[in-house]
Amino acid sequence: METLHSEEMILNIGPQHPSTHGVFRLVVTIDGEQIVAADPVVGYLHRGTEKLAESLQYTQIIPYTDRLDYVAAMLNNYALVHTVEYAMDLEIPERAEYLRVIVMELNRVASHLLFVGAYLLDLGAMSPFLYVFQEREMIVQLFNEICGARLTYNYMRVGGVKWDAPPGWLAKVRDFLPHMREKLKMYDALISGNEIFLSRVRGMGVITQEEAVAYSLSGINLRSTGLRFDLRKKRPYGIYDKFAFDVVVGQNGDCFDRYWCHFLEMEQSLNIVEQALESIPDGPVLGKVPKLIRIPAGEYYTSIEGARGELGVYIVSDGKDKPYRMKLRRPSFVNLQILSKLLIGQNMANMIAILGAVDIVLGEVDA
Amino acid sequence: MFGILKGLGVTFGQLTKKKVTLQYPEVKPVWPERFRGIHEFIPELCIVCNQCARICPTSCISLSGSRDANKKMRIDTYDINFEICILCDLCVEVCPTEAIRMTDQFELAAYSREEFYKDMHWLYDNHKEHGTYHALQEAKEQAAKEQAAKEQAAKEAGAKEQAGREPVAASEAATGGET
Amino acid sequence: MFSWQTQPLTGLNFIGMVIGAVVVLAILLLVVMYLIFFLRKVVAWMQNRIGPNRVGPWGLFQSMADVLKLLLKEDIVPAKADRALFLVAPIIAFVPAFTVLAVIPYTAGHIFTAGLNIGVLFYIALSSITILGIVLGGWASNNKYSLVGGLRSAAQMISYEIPLGMSVLGVVMLAGSLNLTTIVQQQATDRFGWYIIPQIIGFVVFMIAAVAELNQTPFDLPEAESELVAGYFTEYTGFRFAFYMLTEFVYLFAISALATTLFLGGWLGPWLPSWLWFAIKTSAVIFFMFWLRATMPRLRVDKLMGFAWKVLIPVALFNILLTGLLSLLV
Ligand code: SF4
Ligand code: SF4
Repeated sequence: METLHSEEMILNIGPQHPSTHGVFRLVVTIDGEQIVAADPVVGYLHRGTEKLAESLQYTQIIPYTDRLDYVAAMLNNYALVHTVEYAMDLEIPERAEYLRVIVMELNRVASHLLFVGAYLLDLGAMSPFLYVFQEREMIVQLFNEICGARLTYNYMRVGGVKWDAPPGWLAKVRDFLPHMREKLKMYDALISGNEIFLSRVRGMGVITQEEAVAYSLSGINLRSTGLRFDLRKKRPYGIYDKFAFDVVVGQNGDCFDRYWCHFLEMEQSLNIVEQALESIPDGPVLGKVPKLIRIPAGEYYTSIEGARGELGVYIVSDGKDKPYRMKLRRPSFVNLQILSKLLIGQNMANMIAILGAVDIVLGEVDA
Repeated sequence: MFGILKGLGVTFGQLTKKKVTLQYPEVKPVWPERFRGIHEFIPELCIVCNQCARICPTSCISLSGSRDANKKMRIDTYDINFEICILCDLCVEVCPTEAIRMTDQFELAAYSREEFYKDMHWLYDNHKEHGTYHALQEAKEQAAKEQAAKEQAAKEAGAKEQAGREPVAASEAATGGET
Repeated sequence: MFSWQTQPLTGLNFIGMVIGAVVVLAILLLVVMYLIFFLRKVVAWMQNRIGPNRVGPWGLFQSMADVLKLLLKEDIVPAKADRALFLVAPIIAFVPAFTVLAVIPYTAGHIFTAGLNIGVLFYIALSSITILGIVLGGWASNNKYSLVGGLRSAAQMISYEIPLGMSVLGVVMLAGSLNLTTIVQQQATDRFGWYIIPQIIGFVVFMIAAVAELNQTPFDLPEAESELVAGYFTEYTGFRFAFYMLTEFVYLFAISALATTLFLGGWLGPWLPSWLWFAIKTSAVIFFMFWLRATMPRLRVDKLMGFAWKVLIPVALFNILLTGLLSLLV
């Protein structure tokens, strides 16, 4: 008689699947509901931004960066112009720097909000997703007023920003802050205490500090393990040294800590915006920039704290108006590495909870 | 258990709140002034300097021009391929004469690819239809002013802010009038 | 009291029975259609949306349009599916759903009620047949997501059947009858009033198990969209898909009606006509389920089974013990 045996099953999750947040494919081998191996397959959204950049002037690259991490495009804009400015040693007008900080931190809030909503949607709760979109909509509407677009802002320029804030805009931002704080309390009441939610995220997908460093994680994935590493504090760029804010860290490095860090970080970002609004000076918003932007030959790298981690731009220039080679360090891509390790031995249902908490944006993973 | 009850309270509280849905095809969204919609193009203003085509990161503008009797450059053809235009606004930024601008028109859906190739005439029509945006804005401002005036009759306060916006409206009216 | 069983089976009576069944079916189809509408509206309001509003006044015909659309769709059977089972599975799931409605006492008149002496048992027994339909559907689709979804449902529904049955036992002990009509009548004269008061533990267990039986949030794992696409009916289209949807909503109505009958005094109530009382109470239970749906994330599969076996069943057992002691002492 044949002996009874069980088989492992290969399940292709994605590239079209409701909770892979885009075109991401995960090949998991499951034994019953247990994952034995997980193999992420990326590249479905690859547009070759880095290669395209080689034939574009620096100003023309900016709209392309919008399409990387499309939920936090302001930060991408800044990452690029910051490197170019650093390479050219440009002087940036004060007001432009303040405007940048305001829009970047607002964008960070918008991005984290989306994380909270989408994460809960992954876990099966639909309402938070629709709630957070209301606040996100307000932020996006503010961006629409300042730069004319809701998603792909193209707002930063080498040497400053495209437009000054329209009249009354800063007041609107100021009004938005208390509203947002109020809403954060509501989300806290709705989500953070829910026992079902907690049972799904507590102790789930734990990353230790050593692992996080070894896998070169950054952003909240790193901070949730308790390591106090935030580029805004560690290597202050722009005018971040002028603001008082805390670096939020977790303790256990589990999914709940990652969720919770997102939550607290929003509050910190709101604090930064508040401080920036108080002290924003008058003046021009675009510094003295040559008409044709040329970077002296050499290699330049700067990185900023993106919404998902260290967002770096590396430019090799041969002195022309186009980069000779550009490399983007996309935090989502780097953070994704740890996924296969986190998933092994987990239950299928946890897969979604863990994948969601690693918080990837496919535009950024594939560039 | 307590957390679940708290969550239930939150959702129940939303039942009576104001709904945020926009009844889209009937009610259009109100776009701010800087909104970057589909372009409008005013041939009379264009001096065929080619700057817009050169800055366009996706090279979706193609144009040609010729000299007329007075040795002035006149635009002959001006096409934008909206299959690849990313509405980045760079062309508007560099245009020295504001011949190319952006409108609040955002509805681009079409049944065939050819429809995305918009030529000069389409863009000019777009200007006439949606370029009236500024005029509309002005009308809105006007209405608001009247409203404010009415309110002022009842109450003295409240009209100041409205007056502060007047110069902006006036300058827009000027640019709109040129065309 | 009127009861079909006490009547001789004459031709007239037979026609009466058939008419009664058809009327119940017709009314229920309408009710179920509007349940879907009600669900979408309630959830939308809780999410600051408007919900369906385009088809007909206030979107009232939305469900009808949806059903029509489903009927008009092509009926696709996947090439690698087990054809016979694939076709028959939705029917297996669907038929018991309507059958259980025979025993629910909607009004004090009982014209539409079978008045079975073993009504409770009948409900629980028949409703478990649906599980077969679901497992078969998941298996016959020959799709991995469907299979996992189907197996999850089987595990879940079988586990929760037990606490569901046990929680009902308390009521049966108090009423001394398995007949749903008698249970309601007992509640009119019971010294504690409606059984939700002496049976509050049983009621809570019943509600939790009911939500799980229905595959509703937070127990909607079999069709967990973010994990399993649509679970066991991923491959179904057209009216076979509609059958599954209908099954789900008929059960939603049926179990709310059962909860009303067992714990909330059925048609009892002052002033208003009895059927209206029944409708109001059932709607309240249904609303509660929708409310849960708008709030909760989903449980995890292993926790789910643990919860049934380690928490619900002991609590239900304890409730039976308590009820026994209570009826001995008081
Ligand atoms: S908006 Fe950008 S992409 Fe479109 S035509 Fe102008 S420059 Fe080109
Ligand atoms: S930049 Fe303006 S003026 Fe120059 S070619 Fe383009 S549209 Fe014409």
